[in-house]
Amino acid sequence: MAIIKLDEIKYSLKNLRNRKLRSGLSILSILIGITAIFALVSFGLGIQYYMDTIAAEAGADKLYIQPKGVGVPGLDENFYLTQNDIDFVARINGVKDIKGMYFKSAELRFKDEVTYYFVIGMDTDELEFFMEGFNIDIEKGRDLKKGDLNKVVLGYNYLLEKRIFDKPLKVGDKVELNGKDFEVVGFYSEVGNPGDDAQMYLTLEAFEELHPEYVGQFGYVMLSAEKGVDPTELADKITEKLRKHRGEEEGKETFFVQSFEDIIETFGIIINVLNGVLVLIALISLIVASVNIMNTMYTAVLERTKEIGIMKAVGARNENILFIFMFESGVLGLVGGIIGVLLGYVVASIGGMVAAQAGYSLLQPAFPWYLIIGCILFAFVVGAGSGLLPAVRASKQKPVDALRYE
Amino acid sequence: MIADYFRIAFRSLAKRRLRTYLTMIGIFIGIAAVVSLIGLGQGLRIAITSQFGFLGTDILSVQAAGVNLGPPGSGAVNPLTSDLVDKIEKINGVDMAFARYIDTGTMEFNDEQVIGYFGSVPEGDRRKAFEEMSNLKAEQGRLLRDDDRKGVVLGNDFSKDDIFGRGVSSGDEITINDMEFKVVGIIERKGSFTIDQVVLMNEQTMFDFIETDVDEVDVIAVKVKDEKQIDDVQEKIEELLRKERDVDIGEEDFEVQSPQAILESLDSTLFAVQLFITIIALISLLVGGIGIMNTMYTAVLERTKEIGIMKAIGARNSTIFTLFFIESGFLGMVGGGIGIALGLIFAYGLAAIGRLALGSELIQANVSGGLIFGALMFSFVLGTVFGVLPAYRASKLNPVDSLREAK
Repeated sequence: MAIIKLDEIKYSLKNLRNRKLRSGLSILSILIGITAIFALVSFGLGIQYYMDTIAAEAGADKLYIQPKGVGVPGLDENFYLTQNDIDFVARINGVKDIKGMYFKSAELRFKDEVTYYFVIGMDTDELEFFMEGFNIDIEKGRDLKKGDLNKVVLGYNYLLEKRIFDKPLKVGDKVELNGKDFEVVGFYSEVGNPGDDAQMYLTLEAFEELHPEYVGQFGYVMLSAEKGVDPTELADKITEKLRKHRGEEEGKETFFVQSFEDIIETFGIIINVLNGVLVLIALISLIVASVNIMNTMYTAVLERTKEIGIMKAVGARNENILFIFMFESGVLGLVGGIIGVLLGYVVASIGGMVAAQAGYSLLQPAFPWYLIIGCILFAFVVGAGSGLLPAVRASKQKPVDALRYE
Repeated sequence: MIADYFRIAFRSLAKRRLRTYLTMIGIFIGIAAVVSLIGLGQGLRIAITSQFGFLGTDILSVQAAGVNLGPPGSGAVNPLTSDLVDKIEKINGVDMAFARYIDTGTMEFNDEQVIGYFGSVPEGDRRKAFEEMSNLKAEQGRLLRDDDRKGVVLGNDFSKDDIFGRGVSSGDEITINDMEFKVVGIIERKGSFTIDQVVLMNEQTMFDFIETDVDEVDVIAVKVKDEKQIDDVQEKIEELLRKERDVDIGEEDFEVQSPQAILESLDSTLFAVQLFITIIALISLLVGGIGIMNTMYTAVLERTKEIGIMKAIGARNSTIFTLFFIESGFLGMVGGGIGIALGLIFAYGLAAIGRLALGSELIQANVSGGLIFGALMFSFVLGTVFGVLPAYRASKLNPVDSLREAK
């Protein structure tokens, strides 16, 4: 039996080689779809991995309290959290550390250029806490120190040419923040999205000096849970207690508590849905490719009617014929899959480079082995599946009729 | 003569029916995908861009620069001052200028609380201009009057049950920042969240009860006398503001924009997204095209003998070429026609299902005549382009060889 199988395989491959052009075109049609799907999924997985790393490194023990409001949370001046709220939450069982942050939009001038982005004012004690939370480090210069008044640390993108300002900034540069002189003392490493990489950071004191009108109005509160405390349960507890403390009724809170996990999860769902839609659209091309393969195989069956008759006459069984034709179409799919994955790898890598150039370095493709194997296997299954009907037709032919066929 | 070409082409297609159908399926799946996606994308673009309130061609808006991610003015670093309004109004070519204040706060009704945003309505003779500019009409009750001290007019969404669990009607009392206000009217539905969810109050009401700062204007709306001079007026306003706020050219900390310009920039972003999705959908058409090419090469191979005979009795290369060319073009066009019909069903069907399931008015389909015509032409061109190589091969066959080669 095994020997017969080997012969069948050889015979199939020979047939594919004989009609090179047609095989080539069929392979081309399937590889295009596989290329697109492989590239799209690799980006989806890349983002998933990025988020998993952040979640793992930052620790899932972080929670955020933000005021509600219209537009960007924390920016609506009518809604904020006070020092009193923070002190209150700090005393809740299960809360380890808690820090309030200021969060406002700001104007930054350097020589004759100007930009607008968010300025964050934070306690120097919370710096480590904060950098852990966002998975960043100091890229150049130094971090903020207690008592830094006219010093600012900037996001990564200020180091780049023509990103925010035409000329890159460097440590020691003098800038004007909301009309006041500041010295740039350091830069944070890249977060990987244009928003966070354009942020400006001050100490709590410096922020309060710059904006005395916002003292005690926090736009953002970050806290960590004690070991062994479930962040989601803690979030519910804080919501309930803080609501009572602020004299708000249930369902009428003007703040919300989110665990780091919730944020990541929401973000992940959105990304997955978007990516899923794109993959679905790309799948359409695989359906078309499968129709193409079916077409090629029907033609092959037709052309080889006589051959099939001869094979049957010398003792080939229906399943031998079925195997031969399904194997042929499966090989078309397999080859298309392998080339498609290779091309997809190239396309995704180029896409990743383009994204990094544009400031979205968190948009990087990932190529786990199961994606590679999965795509190739999928292409094989699509190929073999599309060959099923033609192969059945071939196998069902009566040898006498087939021999007579012209 | 031409009729003959078509007759022969159709006959050959009809003879290998299965293959013809399969090839056309490839094309129509692709065309259906492209037509329905473009149609839905177009509908979404129209729905989003119609979300904008002010749409006169004679209007400019002035805002302080900042991070504009929330309501106008919320991210401003150095807000506009109210004295600028009168100064702008004095500029030659300006018909009218007025300040708009935007603020936020809590709203309570039916024992439910939400955070809402409030927009000011200018008083006196500017009121009418504002109402005309935004095309405001009351669906229930009336619009605001100068003597409405604690009256508000609500956007249409508030009349639905979604926000407070029960719709608000004119005459109801509503609590804003813990104070009672009377709803004097509900605005007609605009299909735009900026107007459908706004709470309109008289300027003075905002100063007195919401504690909005009189000196910090969020937006200055400017109506020009002659829309042809809108660019001139824009420059003059910019010049004035540079002087008033003491900034140089290129360092402006404010923006003067026509709503038209804002809309265009938004639309181009949406267009880019639509384009990306269309490109991915086009991949399937490319695959369909390859299917045509494959079918046609096979056809040439099968009909080698036929081609030899035709050439032997005097057919020219161009005749053979045209024959095969018509065949592939026909495959493309019929596939395209069916694809367009299916695409229309998909697009409108999905939009209807989406609207029912999500209740969002953003989901609508818009398939224009241009899109239909374009898709039809495209599928014909696709058929012919992918048919060129096989047809060329057929036309170049040597009659003697092809007669001998065939079994």
